[in-house]
Amino acid sequence: MQKILLTILIYLMTTQIVAINCYSVEPDEFLQNPKKELRARNISKNVRCLVCQNQSIDESSAALAKDLRILIRIKIEQGNSDEEIYSFLTERYGDFILLNPPFKISTLLLWVLPFVFLAIGIFVIFLHNNKSKKLDYNK
Amino acid sequence: MKKGILISPIILFFLILLVFFYLLIIDRNPSELPSMLINKKVPTFEAELLLEDKIFISPGEFRNETTLVNFFATWCKPCFDEHPYLKKLSDERGLKIIGINYKDDSKRAVKWLEKLGNPYSNVLLDPNARLGIDWGVYGLPETFIVNSDGVIKYRLVGPITKKNYDAFVLKVKEVEK
Repeated sequence: MQKILLTILIYLMTTQIVAINCYSVEPDEFLQNPKKELRARNISKNVRCLVCQNQSIDESSAALAKDLRILIRIKIEQGNSDEEIYSFLTERYGDFILLNPPFKISTLLLWVLPFVFLAIGIFVIFLHNNKSKKLDYNK
Repeated sequence: MKKGILISPIILFFLILLVFFYLLIIDRNPSELPSMLINKKVPTFEAELLLEDKIFISPGEFRNETTLVNFFATWCKPCFDEHPYLKKLSDERGLKIIGINYKDDSKRAVKWLEKLGNPYSNVLLDPNARLGIDWGVYGLPETFIVNSDGVIKYRLVGPITKKNYDAFVLKVKEVEK
């Protein structure tokens, strides 16, 4: 019984892994040059699909994602740098199209707040520790 | 002091809860994105026309009057629903509307306009979504209001409907001022 359950579990886990690694780039989109294709794939992984907003255009099969994937490859073939392609996209769709938000004044809180909370947490623990130590000595 | 430390996480928790609840109940569409093109010049592009054998050149064509730019396709049901309101805007208000036929079959588009009427001064072809991407379009229909200087002043994502028609006309008037 345990063995059966284990195999089912392993089966589910592996299929899940396969599902996580899936992507939507179609063979006819591939660039001939593998180096350039790799660059295109890397950029696509950082670009949000605006139709299904929590997927990158690398994973999404939405029509807009396909159009953007093709456009990125055309831009690479035209000799554009990665930065030029990213700024081309953000000029039209805003920073939201980047899955990794850039460090800017408007996103400062987003980046800094976790560390602020961490500092507060450490401070509180430190304070608490100090107090309990003092209590022990008094006894 | 000790009481303060004990109580503050609870207060913080309820504050965060309050923020979440506020965001939940306010009337807001999280899938609607602000346009990056507001207060910017219309993109520079050239496009073929659906009904004439001519090339449309932007921004040259965006001068002298307030213009609407409407992305549509025959495969898009909300575009069909929106069509009578575009007709109304062009017939009753004499607005210049430029249609951009997004990733569509040209024959179908011609038939569609013959059947439903043509509110557009020009119908541009965008077979590979290149114009759509230039305008930051991510879902059809989308309508832009461009002022007489060729500057984009407003974008509506989704169709013009009975519900938002008056508000939309108000926006147009604001831009026309």
